[in-house]
Amino acid sequence: MKNRRSLFALPYVVWMALFVVAPILLVVVYAFSSAAGGATLENFRDMGGYWVVFLRSFELAVVATAVCLVIGYPISYLMAREGPRFQRVATVLIMLPMWMNFLLRTYAWMSILENTGLLNRLFSAIRLFDLVNAVSGALNSAFGLKLATDVQYFQMINTSGAVVLGMVYNYLPFMILPIYSVLAKMDRSLLEAARDLGASPAAAFRRVILPLSLPGVLSGVTMVFVPSVSTFAISRLLGGSNVMLLGNLIELQFTGSSYDPQLGSAISLVMMVIVVACMYVMNRFGEGEEQAVML
Amino acid sequence: MNGKNRFGGRLAMVLTFLFLYAPIFVLMVFSFNDSSSRTLWKGFTLDWYGELFQDGIIINSLYTTLLVALLSSLIATVAGTFAAIGFFNMKRRVRTPLMTINNIPMTNADIVTGVSMCLLFVAAFGAWNSFAQQMNEANGTSLPSLAMGFGTLLIAHITFNIPYVILSVMPKLRQMDKNLVEAAQDLGCTWMGAFFKVVLPEIKPGVVNGLLIAFTMSVDDFVISYFTAGPTTSTLAMTIYGMTKKRISPKINAVSTLLFVTVLLLLVIVNLREMQQSRAKKDPRRAARSAASSRRGTILGAGALAAVLLALILLSRQNNSRVVNVCGWGENIDPALIEQFQEETGIRVNYQTAEGNETMYSKVVLGGSGYDVIVPSDYMVSQMRQEGLLAELDFANIPNFSLIDDTYKHLSYDPENLYSVPYTWGTLGIIYNTAMVDEPITSWSALFDPQYAGQVLMINNPRDAIGVGLMYLGYSVNTTDEGEIREAYQLLAEAREQGVYQSFVMDEVYDKMEAGEAAIAVYYAGDFLAMYENNPDLAFVVPQEGSNWFVDAMCVLKDAPHKEAAEEWINFICSTDACLANMDYIWYASPNVQALADYPAYYEELYGEEMDPALYAIMAAPEEVLAGCEAYDALPAETNDLYKELWTVLGIG
Repeated sequence: MKNRRSLFALPYVVWMALFVVAPILLVVVYAFSSAAGGATLENFRDMGGYWVVFLRSFELAVVATAVCLVIGYPISYLMAREGPRFQRVATVLIMLPMWMNFLLRTYAWMSILENTGLLNRLFSAIRLFDLVNAVSGALNSAFGLKLATDVQYFQMINTSGAVVLGMVYNYLPFMILPIYSVLAKMDRSLLEAARDLGASPAAAFRRVILPLSLPGVLSGVTMVFVPSVSTFAISRLLGGSNVMLLGNLIELQFTGSSYDPQLGSAISLVMMVIVVACMYVMNRFGEGEEQAVML
Repeated sequence: MNGKNRFGGRLAMVLTFLFLYAPIFVLMVFSFNDSSSRTLWKGFTLDWYGELFQDGIIINSLYTTLLVALLSSLIATVAGTFAAIGFFNMKRRVRTPLMTINNIPMTNADIVTGVSMCLLFVAAFGAWNSFAQQMNEANGTSLPSLAMGFGTLLIAHITFNIPYVILSVMPKLRQMDKNLVEAAQDLGCTWMGAFFKVVLPEIKPGVVNGLLIAFTMSVDDFVISYFTAGPTTSTLAMTIYGMTKKRISPKINAVSTLLFVTVLLLLVIVNLREMQQSRAKKDPRRAARSAASSRRGTILGAGALAAVLLALILLSRQNNSRVVNVCGWGENIDPALIEQFQEETGIRVNYQTAEGNETMYSKVVLGGSGYDVIVPSDYMVSQMRQEGLLAELDFANIPNFSLIDDTYKHLSYDPENLYSVPYTWGTLGIIYNTAMVDEPITSWSALFDPQYAGQVLMINNPRDAIGVGLMYLGYSVNTTDEGEIREAYQLLAEAREQGVYQSFVMDEVYDKMEAGEAAIAVYYAGDFLAMYENNPDLAFVVPQEGSNWFVDAMCVLKDAPHKEAAEEWINFICSTDACLANMDYIWYASPNVQALADYPAYYEELYGEEMDPALYAIMAAPEEVLAGCEAYDALPAETNDLYKELWTVLGIG
């Protein structure tokens, strides 16, 4: 009886074999073959030249994830302490921007950060640049420094800072929501018990709340880190072409100007392996429960 | 908890919300701006909304997005529910590895999922198409050739949606009392009956939740669609990405505002209903009824909204049976011509754009194509011709070819002129902002000069960018000497290292040069004239070292699905009237000899003033300028590989 009903999964198992497993195998096959068709390791030999991009992608993704955590954890914690009505409205407010396509939200930052953008216009309107130039001038004459005194704008767009900002902006809700949903479900009496038993607020947080919220944190970190490390649209829009990330490198080989799907596959494969390894190591710290905290 | 603490917490939350909403607010405000500037307020208007609804590309992509979201979420919900029941009834030993595979699309980076499925489709269609071709030739059958498109997009969306459905149905199955099904069966129910009467009601919240998540994921997806939709199908997200790479129009802001307001309204309605429901909770019977009706109402409401939208779009679309898929450059055609052609012939034009020759080539090769007409430049025509990608044209269907100046026929890229019809021609040069540089620019050296650090926009395609280096060094743009090419690359790499380049751009150049974001750019003469209309401080120069002279030509792909319509389109575009209108819109010189000669008169009639001869000379470069220019030839494969390699390394920085 039991076995017969498990047959319901059969069509999907076939589907998975065709559209999940086969594509990944193809990536592996492409990664180890040359454009002419033979087997080769050449694609991986070329990889050495791209370690800068790997480093940069992982670095920016780690920074973005850390910033999301530093902002997201306290916000989730504060939210969970509020009344049910407030919590409800706040959750909706955090989810709402996610319903708007992330490209639109990223594009909005372009107009804000550009050299002639809103922020620089604002700075110029409040005469911030005059002030900066005056201060630099004074410092120059006082200490013989060579600071620029003709600053007309701050360079914000097309920098790695702008890319990190874009990642944080887009993925912050992915950090807040899982942490919040774990904290909101947490049994308050545990905290009270800890306090009753003489724990200081800090100790109660460290020994009760933090460990209990860890699954939410891990889930949030994964949900921010993976899209950050592989993005190509955010770096393209906010980094100009000055901040090439792994995603851009892969896109370049498939639909961009350097058509070479074999190399693109090799880069994808290496990225996939590193990301899976990171996730595995990280999840060893938590309970490797296969339950992603959904919205 | 003391009040001060709470105040601080709330302040932090308000700041976070401000951070989340400020950019959206900016987008919305500027959708009403009476100017195409994204940062200067010029007054209130609703024009962008009007234009939005007339923009066939945006409306079409909205239709695709909704249709694929609706279909994929419904299919995924049914398939995922059955799969979850199947998994649930499996032995743990079998289930665990299958669940791991099921989780792959959720945990993998989107780009890897997208790229891997793209490879699968390319490989499968490649195999099928060559098989079909052989069969057709040998047995006279007419097996169709396949290309990526709506079908592959749908498969991809179903694939990444099912795991979310399983994830949301599985916990409900675990919570269900197993004895219920057995009890129903003991009482004489068939298993199917038990499923519909007992299991389904129990797991319904999970199924509904799965459906909603799947729908949201599908609407929100960009990356996977980008790699699996093929070149002729476009979702809203893909269209937006395409738009951000061109002259940015506030139509984007209008789209965002409408989307945002729609979602906001939906959420408000849902929440109001649920609040009513919680108020009704005091009376348990009423509560149960209102809860059920509220949930049903919400889903019905959302479903009805989507259906109404689809129907509206279907009605507003001219649903012509004949279609032609055209791939051109951004800002490179007068949209009125597309409208006119559609009205005259009843053929719907699906107009897509590519950023540059190399990008278009990737799309044609990787996408299994689907385009009918493409507009590559000379050297790319040659390369594609040699690779057997182009179809021979039937010039009997293109009588207007006779209007084309003989100078542009039988050129080296198509010596017998079997494959191409010239579309436009022009020169590459330097565009600079006279208010931002001290002295007129006359040499390519400005592009490598640290004095202009952060002020230069380098062109974002390998042939032109490395070509600039070659021209500056006095080498031929068609050199195959590795040393010379590497020397040119070195110039670019050093300038990049010194921070000369603000960015590498293609059509983003319009916005940036018009707004004074950058002082110097490398781009094409026609586009300069379009920018000059909006910023008279700009100037154009063909540098003293000489430059590139190019012809963009219309070609039909060998596996084009609509060859006849394609030739009709080409013939239409070659007519003198179309060439005049097009020249007036895109400012690229036409190879139609009469249109080019008549243009100044046409301009005078249209605008009531004489055309500045200097501008005409930029559009249609005179003999003496062209004498110093060289056309690109197709390069041998090993030189192409060198270009690709250097280009990738240059991008890394």
